[in-house]
Amino acid sequence: MFEFTKEQEMIRAMVREFADTELAPKALELDRKGEFPYELVKKIGALGIIGVASPREYGGSKAGHLPAVIAVEEIARVYPSLAFILEVTQAPLYMLENYGTPEQKQTWLPPIIRGEKIAAVAATEPTGGSDLATLNTTAVADGDGYVLNGRKVYITNGSVGDIVLVLAKTGERASILALEKGTPGFIVSRRQDLMGFKSGDVCELGFSNCRIPKKNVIGKEGGGQAVAMATFTVSRAAVGAVGLGIARGAFEIALKYAKERMLYGKPIAGLQAIQFMLVDMDTEIDAARWLIYHPAACLDRGMLPRDIGKLSARAKYIGGEVAASVTMKAMQVLGGYGVSPEYHLARLLADAVEIFPATGTPQIMKIIQALEIVK
Amino acid sequence: MPLNILVCIKQVPDPEQFDRITLDPATGSINRAGIPPVTNPVDRHAVEEALRIREASGGTVAVLTMGPPQARKCLEDALAMGADRGVLLCDMAFAGADTLATAAVLAAGIRSAGDFDLVLCGNESVDGATGQVPAQLAEALGWPRVTYARKIEIAKEAATALVEREIEEGFLRVEVRLPAVIAVVKRINRYRLPTIFGILEAGKKEIIEVGCAACECAGLVAEAMGLAGSPTRVAGVFQSHRKRHVEMIGGEPKEAARGLIRKLKEMDAL
Amino acid sequence: MKEILVWAELRDGRLTGVALEIMKKALDLATLSGGRVSAVAIGRECRESAAELVAHGAERVFVVEDARLDLYQADAFTKILCRLIGEIRPGIVLMGGTSVGADLAPAVAARLGTGLTAHCTDLRIEAIEGLDQLVMVVPGWRGNMMVKIVCPEKRPVMATIRPGVMERGRPEPSREGEIVAVSPDIDEKDFRARTLERVRESEESALEQAKIIVSGGFGFYEAGGVALLDQLARALGAVTAGSRPACDAGWVPESRMIGQSGRTVSPDLFISIGASGAPHYTTGFAKSKLIVAIDKNPKAPVFDIADFGVAGDLKEIIPALVEELEAKE
Ligand SMILES: Cc1cc2nc3c(=O)[nH]c(=O)nc-3n(C[C@H](O)[C@H](O)[C@H](O)COP(=O)(O)OP(=O)(O)OC[C@H]3O[C@@H](n4cnc5c(N)ncnc54)[C@H](O)[C@@H]3O)c2cc1C
Ligand SMILES: Cc1cc2nc3c(=O)[nH]c(=O)nc-3n(C[C@H](O)[C@H](O)[C@H](O)COP(=O)(O)OP(=O)(O)OC[C@H]3O[C@@H](n4cnc5c(N)ncnc54)[C@H](O)[C@@H]3O)c2cc1C
Ligand SMILES: Cc1cc2nc3c(=O)[nH]c(=O)nc-3n(C[C@H](O)[C@H](O)[C@H](O)COP(=O)(O)OP(=O)(O)OC[C@H]3O[C@@H](n4cnc5c(N)ncnc54)[C@H](O)[C@@H]3O)c2cc1C
Repeated sequence: MFEFTKEQEMIRAMVREFADTELAPKALELDRKGEFPYELVKKIGALGIIGVASPREYGGSKAGHLPAVIAVEEIARVYPSLAFILEVTQAPLYMLENYGTPEQKQTWLPPIIRGEKIAAVAATEPTGGSDLATLNTTAVADGDGYVLNGRKVYITNGSVGDIVLVLAKTGERASILALEKGTPGFIVSRRQDLMGFKSGDVCELGFSNCRIPKKNVIGKEGGGQAVAMATFTVSRAAVGAVGLGIARGAFEIALKYAKERMLYGKPIAGLQAIQFMLVDMDTEIDAARWLIYHPAACLDRGMLPRDIGKLSARAKYIGGEVAASVTMKAMQVLGGYGVSPEYHLARLLADAVEIFPATGTPQIMKIIQALEIVK
Repeated sequence: MPLNILVCIKQVPDPEQFDRITLDPATGSINRAGIPPVTNPVDRHAVEEALRIREASGGTVAVLTMGPPQARKCLEDALAMGADRGVLLCDMAFAGADTLATAAVLAAGIRSAGDFDLVLCGNESVDGATGQVPAQLAEALGWPRVTYARKIEIAKEAATALVEREIEEGFLRVEVRLPAVIAVVKRINRYRLPTIFGILEAGKKEIIEVGCAACECAGLVAEAMGLAGSPTRVAGVFQSHRKRHVEMIGGEPKEAARGLIRKLKEMDAL
Repeated sequence: MKEILVWAELRDGRLTGVALEIMKKALDLATLSGGRVSAVAIGRECRESAAELVAHGAERVFVVEDARLDLYQADAFTKILCRLIGEIRPGIVLMGGTSVGADLAPAVAARLGTGLTAHCTDLRIEAIEGLDQLVMVVPGWRGNMMVKIVCPEKRPVMATIRPGVMERGRPEPSREGEIVAVSPDIDEKDFRARTLERVRESEESALEQAKIIVSGGFGFYEAGGVALLDQLARALGAVTAGSRPACDAGWVPESRMIGQSGRTVSPDLFISIGASGAPHYTTGFAKSKLIVAIDKNPKAPVFDIADFGVAGDLKEIIPALVEELEAKE
């Protein structure tokens, strides 16, 4: 079993206190209104939470991937939408940090890390997110830049993003290009109305002859698939942490309710059927917890994304499972109150099931795991 | 003018979990097993105030606590917020102190830790909750004091501080010569959370340990420390029951309202 | 323990309520132990108050008058009190636990090197280890545990008592007592901390004087604040107060927070609305003559300490009460 360092425990305590005092009072209302939490993104930036794994020269604190996972988990416990925004932001940060030029890093990393600018990654297309090899978005070289055409769907931070890292075909192979907000021909077609992550910003984007300068290619031209794969491998563990946080949030609600709700003159926490559900939730959470921390801890020990393919796919998979399973059990503990909006469980369940497709479906996660198991 | 500030902070059981504290009525001993320790809430405001003063006028911020070895944690948390160094007063000889002995040891610890222009405290702890330590600490140091401070302005040349001191239905404006002890109330500021960077840097900062011997060097005799130096004693603990018998008044809101007012009139309360 | 000295705090030249509450307790203790009660008043002009203290049972009143002592001056008050205690050597010193007393008492105790017990809810004489001792009862940890504290060796034994905790006695004009003028004997050195002025922020009628208090809790969240509470207070001629969450939310000023960390009150009628009844809160009004609780949760612990309860939604009950009260006029 691993032990957290003192610093990791302090980071968890800090994020938890921030979540309880600053997020909990606002989360519900922002989710209800579907409002993007700009101010809170700036606050987590100022606390160093966005750049928790980023290099110090760009304003990060280089605490590591495990602290990033911990931060996502603690935020998801009370405000999954923001945790998801934070998680998604780790992907463009990872791309820029590991593949960007010094100039690209200097321009974009500090404001993203401070929470003043928002970044997105656009890979998925209407023709299928699982099959990233078949891309219809193209970036054709033209003079000192590229002309981008195509369509992306399910892009988190799509309309609020100041910079969108787009995966597009540049010839036979794909590249990652940084598209900046305000570029002519960059159209946010719609904000997609999904069942969960209500104050998040998932959008359909259209590109019509957008000009992107050459210097905005991230990594090598033609190396986009590899960059995307490595990045998603790293960010998947953090998606799992959103699920872990949701599960913990749901469990806390159920436990508190079970101790307070009186039936037959006694709290229902004394009923064995309720106890069994609580025990199952607790066990599932702990089982998932270690699987989710594992890939991040490996990265912090110096392993590379290609070494942790199975671990991170598993972490992402189990995160979705534990969130949905625990939330539904929590709802049963609350009886009719489980589906009442006052107790937040309906909202948590809606957020939980959105984890399934995000950054790769459960089936795709299993395919990745199988590749290593059966090889 | 830069100021050297020291903040006294106390580690307490998490007040959110006070209902898990039990007292053994036979021995009078307090069982708080399993309750996580935290920094006394108002003391975090005191640390914040010190950091703000340092940010405005320069200088250093030291944090000090008297407690068991685990109390180091609250120093580390304050260092993560931005304090420069920590002082842990830790010795079996300090155990069992009432407020007088606590203040005496804090004063000796402060003397042995350096020269300070200002000592900040929280106005009251959540556990002992006497609010007596700050004024007694000022006495032990031979300094003036201001408690219940809700606003502190340091004069330019740092010879005095202008303090708004809460009293019932208003406040007093107090000018105090430095060095002084000032105890703050929560509304003085909103404290910052440590940043992740601050948390990582905290580990590099120094925490010195001060024991009985160092306090003796600072002029405090061992008889004035801990239980030996405490004039008060706990003589016992008991449960207080005071249950009234409630009469519930039912019915629709209108009926209930009418019923209640009738009852209160009968009792001559309206 | 023969002599009990009461520090009688003045505000605006008038005795504070808590001074008279302590006088009664001191008198009871003196009767038990065969001692007598003295009082000390410090201020610009104290003669009237001294007479009042005599009527409340003080056999001697030490008055320390000086224009510089109109407002609370921490250093000077500490010095004066220490010197007086040194001279008259009382066995017990009792002080009001106001925000001023809570500053003065610990400094005096420290300078005298004696013990001080804070926030006593009761004082009694009990034989402990064969000796009659002053037992000071303080609420510990949770409001429902009480801790007995003694000060076996050092004298005087000192204690502070929060306003509203003890009952006030009746003045008896026939009582006689000696009024002793004491020179303040202070100079510049005794103003290291100098109170320049007192600023009044709210002319609210003091909670302690109120006959009826209506107190709101977090249950007003749904109602979006305590406007309803104010309405009810107007209809009843009551003063408003609140639980800690109500103060944290900014609905009720912090100075009107009821409970362990706030004020202790004992009005004729205390109405608690939308507060669940945590012991930290109820300890602040448990001694009220009559307690009414209104909460939508019929199992809320607040009903355990109430005389009358209404289980229902405050958004419905309060307007009904207001209507009923106004109709009767
Ligand atoms: C909340 C949210 C946020 C998102 N944010 C982003 C973002 O920021 N950027 C971005 O680029 N994308 C984002 N996505 C898109 C996400 O990555 C895709 O939804 C996901 O990859 C699945 O793609 P799809 O929806 O097109 O499903 P499809 O690929 O059409 O899959 C349909 C079904 O087929 C199954 N399937 C596919 N391939 C196989 C196979 N080989 N074997 C067996 N079964 C298979 C899948 O498991 C699934 O059940 C987001 C999605 C959500 C819900
Ligand atoms: C229920 C109970 C009742 C008690 N009653 C009394 C009593 O009546 N008289 C008495 O003399 N003792 C009493 N004690 C003992 C007293 O709590 C201890 O002496 C304790 O060490 C300090 O007192 P406090 O917590 O009340 O501090 P407070 O005076 O309430 O604390 C105010 C501030 O002083 C500073 N401070 C206090 N303690 C420390 C520390 N250890 N290290 C650093 N800074 C510190 C902090 O800034 C704090 O915010 C009581 C204890 C309990 C549990
Ligand atoms: C060391 C310490 C000291 C403390 N000191 C104090 C103190 O001095 N004073 C204090 O008050 N607290 C104090 N507390 C906090 C205390 O423990 C409780 O948390 C607090 O009193 C709860 O306040 P409440 O009853 O207003 O809120 P809650 O416990 O949230 O209760 C709200 C109540 O409102 C009811 N309600 C909700 N909606 C409606 C409606 N529409 N109509 C009618 N009823 C409704 C609910 O049923 C519930 O009973 C202290 C805590 C600690 C740890």
